[in-house]
Amino acid sequence: MEQVFYERALMWIVLLPLAGAIINGLAGRFAHKKLVGAVAVGTVALAFVLAVLAFVHLVGMKGGDDGARLTHHVYEWLSLGFPRGDVPVNVSFVMDSLSGVMTLVVTGIGLLIHIYSLEYMEDDPGFARFFTYLNLFTASMLLLVLASNMPLMFVGWEGVGLCSYLLIGFWWENPAYAAAGKKAFIYNRVGDFGVLIGMFLLVTTIGSFELADINANAREALQPFVLGRWEVASVATVACLFLFLGCTGKSAQIPLFVWLPDAMAGPTPVSALIHAATMVTAGVYLCARLSSLFILSPTAMAVIAIVGALTALLAASIALVQNEIKKILAYSTVSQLGFMFAAVGAGAFAAGIFHVFTHAFFKACLFLGAGAVMHAVHAHGDADIRKLGGLRKHLPTVHWTFLVSCLAIAGVPLFSGFFSKDEILYGALLSTGYFESAWIGWFLFAVLALAATMTAFYMFRLYFLTFTGSYRSAGEEGASHGDGHGYAPHPHRPHGRIAWPLIVLGTGAVVVGYLGLPHALHLPNVWGHWLETTLAALPPAKRELPEWLPWAAMAGGTLAMLVGIGLAWTRYKDKTPEIDEAFAGTSFGRLLMDKWRVDELYELLVIRPSRWMARFAGYIDKYFVDFLLTRATAMGVQVSGWLFTRLQSGLVFAYGVVMVAGLVVLAWWFMYPHPEVEGAVQDGGVRWVAARGLGYEYRWDVNGDGRFDVEEWTDQHDVTTRYEEQDYVGYALVVETPPRGQEVLRLDPEGRTRVIPEHLLGRGWETDAEGNRRPPAASVDPESGKVVLRANDAHVRAPAGAADEDGVLRLSAGDTVQVGAAFMRVAPVARATVEVRNAFGNVRPATEEIVLDPRVGGERQAMLIGGDR
Amino acid sequence: MDIGLGEYLALASILFGIGAVGFLTRRNVLIQLMSIELMLNAVNVVLIAFNRYLPENHTGQVFAFFVIAVAAAEAAVGLAIVISLFRVKKTVQSDQADLLKH
Repeated sequence: MEQVFYERALMWIVLLPLAGAIINGLAGRFAHKKLVGAVAVGTVALAFVLAVLAFVHLVGMKGGDDGARLTHHVYEWLSLGFPRGDVPVNVSFVMDSLSGVMTLVVTGIGLLIHIYSLEYMEDDPGFARFFTYLNLFTASMLLLVLASNMPLMFVGWEGVGLCSYLLIGFWWENPAYAAAGKKAFIYNRVGDFGVLIGMFLLVTTIGSFELADINANAREALQPFVLGRWEVASVATVACLFLFLGCTGKSAQIPLFVWLPDAMAGPTPVSALIHAATMVTAGVYLCARLSSLFILSPTAMAVIAIVGALTALLAASIALVQNEIKKILAYSTVSQLGFMFAAVGAGAFAAGIFHVFTHAFFKACLFLGAGAVMHAVHAHGDADIRKLGGLRKHLPTVHWTFLVSCLAIAGVPLFSGFFSKDEILYGALLSTGYFESAWIGWFLFAVLALAATMTAFYMFRLYFLTFTGSYRSAGEEGASHGDGHGYAPHPHRPHGRIAWPLIVLGTGAVVVGYLGLPHALHLPNVWGHWLETTLAALPPAKRELPEWLPWAAMAGGTLAMLVGIGLAWTRYKDKTPEIDEAFAGTSFGRLLMDKWRVDELYELLVIRPSRWMARFAGYIDKYFVDFLLTRATAMGVQVSGWLFTRLQSGLVFAYGVVMVAGLVVLAWWFMYPHPEVEGAVQDGGVRWVAARGLGYEYRWDVNGDGRFDVEEWTDQHDVTTRYEEQDYVGYALVVETPPRGQEVLRLDPEGRTRVIPEHLLGRGWETDAEGNRRPPAASVDPESGKVVLRANDAHVRAPAGAADEDGVLRLSAGDTVQVGAAFMRVAPVARATVEVRNAFGNVRPATEEIVLDPRVGGERQAMLIGGDR
Repeated sequence: MDIGLGEYLALASILFGIGAVGFLTRRNVLIQLMSIELMLNAVNVVLIAFNRYLPENHTGQVFAFFVIAVAAAEAAVGLAIVISLFRVKKTVQSDQADLLKH
């Protein structure tokens, strides 16, 4: 078939499960369960077939070209404007060797789990809802994997988070389950903000959202990241650490891992698909996807590796003492994810993705096996291994597949987990040559080997207590699900729809490991070769590495497995779980039982302070907003309203009295004139305008000499005049301080000194910042009629000859000096008085002053100072 | 004696004052209506007198006619209200007419 068919197929791989979700979401609850199941499984099966076809085609392409990839551009979703140019956000898909493998895992294991769920969820009233969410999850996960750019990937990233929330809280009637859903969602949100910030950092630095562009131009991110005044690190380091914060949320690493064990509240197939095989590996996938970027920042890589290794150890130690099947498997998942991140951080991206791949098989198989056990004994929510035992005889298929998966996860040679774990340990040893300090690599190896020992131990503790010995709930007829009661006395065997997926996954748990044969044996490593083109390789080692490293990795892994399984064998084979009681009583045992009390720590550090803040905000809302702003205002209106109702007597003559009183006031107002005068500088003169009124007559004194220019009353209400020096009644300083604006300082005509306020002078006006800070002062010399400006401690720039030896300036009208940042202009002041007489013969005067400066006051071209005198 | 604007205004003020005092002090609605007529006519005197002194147009006289017309209408409506009030309250005392409130 044509190339374009396979490229189109990428879009349909995502759209088919989405279509299934839409159909079942809208019509599922009215349809028969068989139809719902057919739609849900059919769409995923079709997507799987398309994925296989595309993948096979990709393998064929790879024969000729190493960087082969299938791409399909659907449309441009957005275009964001950046200083460097527009950056498009495309809806486009890409399948290269990395996303191809992930697509196969998601569709393949997703298909098996859909089939398994048909039986597992058969009797659940939310059957259609379950498959809607499951299909929506599959679509989101495929979008995450196949997206060619970060925003589209983030859509998938958020989509899987949403589906995870919906499915954990699937049985929302139980408040604890609903709370677990919320917990998962909120922890994920904390991480998601990291992804967003990382994405924005990358797009502003590299200028593209496309993953391929980011990888190709990753070196641009080596520029320093500037925060205010400091150069913190390279942009690559900061962006990688923020992206890794997102990974710790989605992939349950320290410090955000606590949601995953609680996520087991969801139905078991969900735990297998979302919280073991696919979604939680998205963080590993993201790091591998941007491997060329991550590898540039040894700091970020070291953080990732150490966090991963410590998570592996911490989670494994918790799993040692847990008693519920799914809890153990959940902590095991956290621990295995830690292994994957340790590999990614050590630069062994292929090993990390390889472990994602093998882990998907055996962990999905383990979860589905656990589900089969719970289904068989009618346990709801989770099954307590202390009440199980001897299920080998009752559930042979489940037993064999479970055992195979246990062997795989424990790292028994010839099973898949052995190969991937060996690659990780080898990667950790190789990283001694990558990091500046070699101890990081040795530390990783030691911690991971210890965690691997614990893994083997707790998995076989789980296996022995569940499947060997005798069934401990056998005697309990009519058992219920509550505590203190056992489970169903006769476990029943599952049907084919549960058994077949187990067998397929169990087979996978054995064989998929052969894709990546150990380095020690110098056999062809198909896996590493396949991913070579999409994953970045470590730079050449900084120091000589010994020849025996591959053998050390293999020896360490095998020894860890032997010790772990051996301890579990001697302690738990055919035994009852009472032997744990002594250890559980010690304080360390209790600490492990309490999961290192991490939840309690977060309760103390984060939840309680936020609760205090919430309570505080609540009080503000209650007493400030609700009471003071709302209630009190309403009460004020009510009270004043009540007061005004007292004025209303309803008697007509009472209103008449008020009306007449108003008339009297009006009459009083009309008895006297109300003069007002305004001036405006106009064409070198000043136009004075007095307010008009009925029967008003005017008498003007425009030159300010105190005598009326014409003694007779006239009806001339405006006067235009020019002022000469002898008409000035004083001076003002017009101070212009850019950018603050303009202010007018009226100077006292009697000669008193006026100090110019500091804030008008701008910055740095002092001659000596350390010494005295006396601002300049101005006064009018009544004798010469000049303005005297004393510079005091200010910088003054004046026209030549204006200043005398003491820094005293004598300025005339129109002179300008600069003091500090301010410009000061001397402007004369003129005054006009008008007397107004009305028809009753009453007389009142009004006086106004004006600064004779055309630039004062903007539009009106005049600023009036003073007022009625 | 020369009669000028001042005298007319004084007459109008006295008329208006009598009307206002009558309106405020008497409780009989009919007398209050008469007082209002008195005040309106005081206004009419002022309008006519000013018109005599500002004779460019006849705004004052025209207004006086308006006031007369409005006063007639007001008397008709007012008397109708008085009759209604009497039917409800069996009285024409305005301090009994507190239906606005009670």
